[in-house]
Amino acid sequence: MIELRDVSKRYGTVEALRDVSFTAPDKHIIGLLGINGAGKSTALNVLTGYFPPTSGQVLVGGVDMLRDPRACKRQIGYLPEKPPLYDEMTVRDYLRFACELKDVKRASVSAHVDEIIGLTGLKEVRGRVIGHLSKGYRQRVGFAQALCGSPETLVLDEPTVGLDPRQVSEIRTLMQQLSLEHTIIFSSHMLSEIQQMCDRVVILHRGRVVREADLADLTDTDGRTHLRVSIAMDESQLLPALKGLPFVRRVRQHTSALPHVTEVTLDCDADGAGRGDPRVQLFRLLAGLDAPILHLAQERDSLEDVFLRVTSGEEAAAV
Amino acid sequence: MIAVWKREMQSYFYTPVGYVFMGVFLTLSSVIFFLQIMSQRSSDLLTFIGNMSYLWMLLCPVLTMRLLAEERQKATDQLLFTSPVSIIGVVLGKYLAAITLTLITVALTLVYVLVVMLYGQVFAGELLCGYLGFVLQGFAFIAVDLFVSGLCRAPVTAAILAFGLNFALWMMDLLVSAVPAQLGRALSFLSLYSRNEPFLMGQLSYASILYDVAVIIIFLASAICTLDARRYRGKGA
Repeated sequence: MIELRDVSKRYGTVEALRDVSFTAPDKHIIGLLGINGAGKSTALNVLTGYFPPTSGQVLVGGVDMLRDPRACKRQIGYLPEKPPLYDEMTVRDYLRFACELKDVKRASVSAHVDEIIGLTGLKEVRGRVIGHLSKGYRQRVGFAQALCGSPETLVLDEPTVGLDPRQVSEIRTLMQQLSLEHTIIFSSHMLSEIQQMCDRVVILHRGRVVREADLADLTDTDGRTHLRVSIAMDESQLLPALKGLPFVRRVRQHTSALPHVTEVTLDCDADGAGRGDPRVQLFRLLAGLDAPILHLAQERDSLEDVFLRVTSGEEAAAV
Repeated sequence: MIAVWKREMQSYFYTPVGYVFMGVFLTLSSVIFFLQIMSQRSSDLLTFIGNMSYLWMLLCPVLTMRLLAEERQKATDQLLFTSPVSIIGVVLGKYLAAITLTLITVALTLVYVLVVMLYGQVFAGELLCGYLGFVLQGFAFIAVDLFVSGLCRAPVTAAILAFGLNFALWMMDLLVSAVPAQLGRALSFLSLYSRNEPFLMGQLSYASILYDVAVIIIFLASAICTLDARRYRGKGA
């Protein structure tokens, strides 16, 4: 388990991280989400011991990174945003070097390298010079390097950035495969990737953690609910009535394919402003207006909703 | 540390750097040998070694320019400094690789000694002293230039700066007679070339050995501190 406790990091006068705390439980995939400049890479660099925090603690398996960096670093495999590759080396030599750096016993280096080459699909290129490899293969070699020494935790900084869709899919499959035996912490600003891959999400904004939760909890309605509804009535009559409902916070209109049909999403208080299920109240309003409901569905918050809310709304302003 | 040393040794021979260093060193030393020994029918190997020592100034930057600067430029230092190897281990591994290549190159110059032994007389004691001073001087130059490499982001900048610094160290010797006596004495005390003179006279100078070792330790420690300070500033090592 990896834990960041009140970690702050300053670059001169710029505070890149402020009191960041989060925990990565064993054998989970944790996604670090944030816009560019939110502090994701800094958090990962601190977490891997690339540079020390200005204040706070990084605990790897309960051991403080500053007290015993060697033991902590042995438990972490790191793939930075730009894979740290030596272009003049062959894939096999490079992985042997990575194993030696990570204290793999000399007798088992060859077998370990072969195992990693098989796992990451590098068999075809193992004897080739890294400088001659495509971007996809280079990323795989970076991945393979992170696996050397069988670390318990893999830290991946935007592992799919710049790859084509097929390579992205391959890397994601590999990550899912690895998550059976490793804790994976990875950063991304791709919401779909986080939603697809993670068990737990940490959202960073301006160097602070603005949300940390299991994905299911994060996208839970969080006191709100969204009703997507198609109503057989012109919008000019309907919208003022909908906006007048006390539990409706926002009305988002969608383009309807049918004439005289209005399609909207209502962002509502889940408790209907204290008057019960908002669906019942909506039904009563529309029945009174003689506006038939053609379709009604209750939707959860999407990760995008949560992300936008915490990084651009009132919550972000409070950071 | 051993892993870093092995990788750097491989790298010297995967890239042209090792071949260029050895090739140029041996070519220039053979020219000096021809001019100093062969054409003058001399067996004065100490003077020959003294002249060879100017090659350090020229060639050590080639050997050290990549060692730390390129790691920073290509961000491969992220692999090194997130691995269990300490910064001290990284710097020492790289330094040992550079001095290993230097020792191999210096060992090849023993061919000249063999040639002189065939046709003249060689005094083993003074030759050993000469070579000891020559090698220690090379090691000191490598430590200085490795420190410079740690300051730079680009290998070319590191090479130019290191050459400039080496040249300045040589200039110190030339300045000794042109500056006030006290300053001259200080410059002479600090000069890597003046310090080598006892060895070139066949004397085993402990003071000079101590001085060379001190230079090596000070500059390696400075390189380690530079990298560590950069980590604390948060710019990576």
